[in-house]
Amino acid sequence: MASANSAEPSYLPSTVQGAVKVLVTGPFGVGKTTLVGSLSEIAPLRTEETMTAAGVGIDDLTGRTGKTTTTVALDFGRITLNPQLALYLFGTPGQQRFWPLWEDLSRGALGAIALVDTRRIGESFDVLGQLEEQGIPFAVAVNVFPDTVHHSEQELRDALDLLPDVPILHCDARDRQAAYDVLIDFVAHLHATAVLELQP
Amino acid sequence: MSGPVRPYVITGGRSRPSRNVLALESLVSTVPGADTGEAELNREHQRILALCGRLLAIAEIAAHLHLPLSVVKVLVGDLWDLGAVQVLPPATAVHRPPDVPQAERLPTSLLEEVLVGLRQLR
Ligand SMILES: Nc1nc2c(ncn2[C@@H]2O[C@H](COP(=O)(O)OP(=O)(O)O)[C@@H](O)[C@H]2O)c(=O)[nH]1
Ligand SMILES: [Mg+2]
Repeated sequence: MASANSAEPSYLPSTVQGAVKVLVTGPFGVGKTTLVGSLSEIAPLRTEETMTAAGVGIDDLTGRTGKTTTTVALDFGRITLNPQLALYLFGTPGQQRFWPLWEDLSRGALGAIALVDTRRIGESFDVLGQLEEQGIPFAVAVNVFPDTVHHSEQELRDALDLLPDVPILHCDARDRQAAYDVLIDFVAHLHATAVLELQP
Repeated sequence: MSGPVRPYVITGGRSRPSRNVLALESLVSTVPGADTGEAELNREHQRILALCGRLLAIAEIAAHLHLPLSVVKVLVGDLWDLGAVQVLPPATAVHRPPDVPQAERLPTSLLEEVLVGLRQLR
C-alpha cells in the first residue's frame, strides 16, 4: 500500500484538544493495514519502533554486550471526529516477539480490534491471549476473504475460546462502510459496557 | 481536556519524566518564538520544531521525519522540557490498571463523543 510518509504533512485543525487511539491487531496478513487504510482520513503512515530484547541486566553483570534489537513496523491512520477530538488507529503486530512493546503501545488505548482470518484461526490464539492478559477491551472482527467458510457465532466463540462479553463482528477490511461499521459497533460496545458498569 | 501542560519536573538528569508520559497519540506543536536559551539543539530537534508549526501526533512526527518512535519521544521530551513545544494532555486513559476504582475507568462521555463522531462520518 502506498505510504504518504514523504508527502506534505496533513495537520490537525488547531481546534483539536486531544486524541484517543484504538489498536488494530492480529497475525501477519490478516488485514490490519487494509482496515486502517479504509478508516483513515489521511493516507496511512508507517513508523517504526525498535526494541532491545534479552536480559540486559544479566548481560551487564557478566560483562557481555549482546543486545538484540527487533524492529516493529506500525501502520497508522487518523480520523478527526469533531473539531476538538481526533482518533488514531494503530496497526499493531500480534506476534509474541512484540509483547515487550505492547504495554507502551496500548497505554491509554480505548481498546483493540482483533482481526481474525478464520482460514487460519490458530494464528490468532497468541494475540487474543495477550489482549486478555493485558486487560485491553477488545472485539474480534472476522475479516472475510473470498474462500472464507461461514461459521456460526457459537462455533467461532468456542474455537477462539472467547468470553461471552467479547463481540464477534464481521467485515471486508477493504470496504470503508464495513470497516466503519466494525469500529462503530466496537465503540458502541465499549460505551454500553461503561454505562452498565457505572450502575450500582 | 484542558490547556497544554508542562512536564511536572525538569530533572536535568538522566531520568526525564516528560518522555515517559508521551504516547504515540500525544499531540505536539512548536511554541512560536520560544527562547531555548543556551540549550544545544541538534539537527533532529530543529527538524521537529520546523515540522510542528501546527498540531501533529508523536507517531506522525516519527513517520514524517523517518525516525524511530522512541527517538522522537526523547527529542520531543527535550523540547518540552525547554518550553520549545507544547504537548496536549491525553484525552483520557481508559485502559488503566485494575486497582483504579471502576468509576474512574469509565469515561462514558468520551466514548459517546467518539461514537457520535464516527456515526456522523460513516
Ligand atoms: N479478499 C480480501 N482481501 C483482503 C482483505 N483484507 C486484506 N486483504 C488482502 O490481504 C493481504 C494482507 O492484508 P494486510 O492489510 O497487508 O495485512 P496485515 O499484515 O495484517 O497488515 C493484502 O493483500 C490485502 O489486500 C479482505 O477483507 N478481503
Ligand atoms: Mg500490515
